Amino acid sequence: MNLERIKPHFPWMTLLALVCVVGAANPAFFDPLGFLSLVTDVVPLFIMALGMTFAIYIGGIDLSAQQVANMVTVVATVYLSQFGIGVAVICVLAGFLFGAMSGFVTTRLYVPSFVSTLAMGFIALSAAKYLSGQRALSMDVTERNTSFGWMFDSTAGVPHQLAIAIALLAFAWFLQTRTSFGRALKAVGSGELAAVASGLNVDRVKILAFAISGAFAGIAGLVFSVKLSGGDANLANGFLLLAIVAVLVGGTPLTGGVGGVINTAIGTLIVMVIRAAMVYLEISATQQQMVFGVVLIIAIALTIDCSKLSGVVK
Amino acid sequence: MTDISAQTEALGGLLTRDRIVRWAPVLVLVALVLLFPFFEFLADLVEGKEHVYLLDSRFFSIRNGARIGIAATPALMVAVGATFIIIMGSIDLSMEGTISVCAVLFAFAFLGWGGTLASWAWLAIPLALVVGALLGFVNGMIHVRLKIPSFMASLAMGFVGTGLALLLTGGDRLRVEDELFRSLLTVRWLNFPIMCYVALAFLLLAWFIQSHTALGRNFYAVGGGEQLAQSSGLNVARVRIMGFTLAGIFFAVGALLAVGRIGIAETATGNNFMFVSITAVVVGGTALWGGIGGVWNTLVGVLIVNVINNGMVVIGLPPYVQDGVLGTLVILAVALSTNRKSVTFVK
Repeated sequence: MNLERIKPHFPWMTLLALVCVVGAANPAFFDPLGFLSLVTDVVPLFIMALGMTFAIYIGGIDLSAQQVANMVTVVATVYLSQFGIGVAVICVLAGFLFGAMSGFVTTRLYVPSFVSTLAMGFIALSAAKYLSGQRALSMDVTERNTSFGWMFDSTAGVPHQLAIAIALLAFAWFLQTRTSFGRALKAVGSGELAAVASGLNVDRVKILAFAISGAFAGIAGLVFSVKLSGGDANLANGFLLLAIVAVLVGGTPLTGGVGGVINTAIGTLIVMVIRAAMVYLEISATQQQMVFGVVLIIAIALTIDCSKLSGVVK
Repeated sequence: MTDISAQTEALGGLLTRDRIVRWAPVLVLVALVLLFPFFEFLADLVEGKEHVYLLDSRFFSIRNGARIGIAATPALMVAVGATFIIIMGSIDLSMEGTISVCAVLFAFAFLGWGGTLASWAWLAIPLALVVGALLGFVNGMIHVRLKIPSFMASLAMGFVGTGLALLLTGGDRLRVEDELFRSLLTVRWLNFPIMCYVALAFLLLAWFIQSHTALGRNFYAVGGGEQLAQSSGLNVARVRIMGFTLAGIFFAVGALLAVGRIGIAETATGNNFMFVSITAVVVGGTALWGGIGGVWNTLVGVLIVNVINNGMVVIGLPPYVQDGVLGTLVILAVALSTNRKSVTFVK
């Protein structure tokens, strides 16, 4: 057995081990219906993490995702009655635009993405507060059901929300592995200077990557807002760090260039299992956050592929 | 002739591009301090009231300066701690958890050992500093020994810290009402409360560590080029762990000042410190890729962020615009203080 060869497989092995441990402690965890509802619950987080993957894959980060999602919940709620299902287009476009602006600020104004996306997040928060009048809004139930009621149905046992997530994953996977844009992303993530030197328009690739991240954050906000039937400038709070954790635990390092969207799917499932484990193992509410942190450190230590970090750990 | 050329060179040397970029954060701060009174001036002009620019300003007054000082001091201490880490090219996101744990443990010890500084309860202060150092040390060990990038290691440690604080308090608030301890806020010398002077003392200490100790120089060495530092015989792992420990101590000082300001220690004491402090460090001109900047930059950065926040309230901007304005100004401040010639690419 060569350690180097099995290292890339650590994330899904960790997932499997976690599932086995939790399942052994409480067999109720293996109930298929319960498991399916767990997976369905994590869909908005997964979509956000999927977008985040693109930002991290090029070596950046997108801290605006949560605020963009917040803004979109408000946009979706406010404009649902006017545009019906067409509001989805507005939501995705709004996210795409905010992401593109983050990318522009990062590449053209030389502001590191950590700060530029954080600042763009504040601007999105302002927009959300302005649109919502700083109140929690709720959707009209009949309007929601006519436009988005299909989301809560299921075909052949697969909830449509999950189908959306799988479709988006397939789309992102196609983008990452089967297009020249995907190759460009990898080139930028693995070595930006080399990518510039080989004539790649790095700025455009990066702006597009942040825009995709924003668009996915928009979709996440839309799904979340439909699920909760409302919008609020703080609705999606708490998603950001979990989405980043999902990407990192999946095995896409912050330095970029390795990992990808399939890793993020595994990472999201790891986060889901850890959180669900708290319930199944009956850990009290006050202890949950601490246990989550400790398990997270272990999970990261297990899944991280040190050989790809080229000696320097920043 | 030689005299003239020497003079022009001196002037040219004074206003080089490098120097302007280096002083850009200070210029931004000065511009902001002059900008907000101007808005007040305009508002009074429209209403036809008598208003002498700066002199009649509510923003540009000692009272308001003290208010900004009080708001800024805990964040300044946290940001100074983060500065050391960022100089090394790492990042620390554990401050919210560390602050909460330090604040809560301090309050428990303080109340348990007498509840006033005049008794043995003063020992709670060094205890909080030790706890901060310990958490920072654990953070550094996880980062270095398990080879987890600092972003993830410290993020997870932040979760652990917040969780630990929640576990300790069970969600309760602890009131620290000792008058002697609260004199940090209530007693004023020259219009500024004592906590501002405490923060200034620790800032000077941080400056001393940064500029006059081997450890401080090593932070820059690691940030400037880790592999180079390693191959010139520097124990990089040790420097990193020391850095995180030092940052933990400064987070603890921030926690003490935060408790002194509000008089309450709870799990939420650490909330909102993470992004504010890192934004302040970057706005001040310390580069996220390491090796550039320092604690004075951080002072300017913290002041910029707090002046913006305070000024927007004073000139009466609607609350929903304030976040957006802060975001825009942060982008502008960082964009202005980045030397594009020295940066090859930005992540």
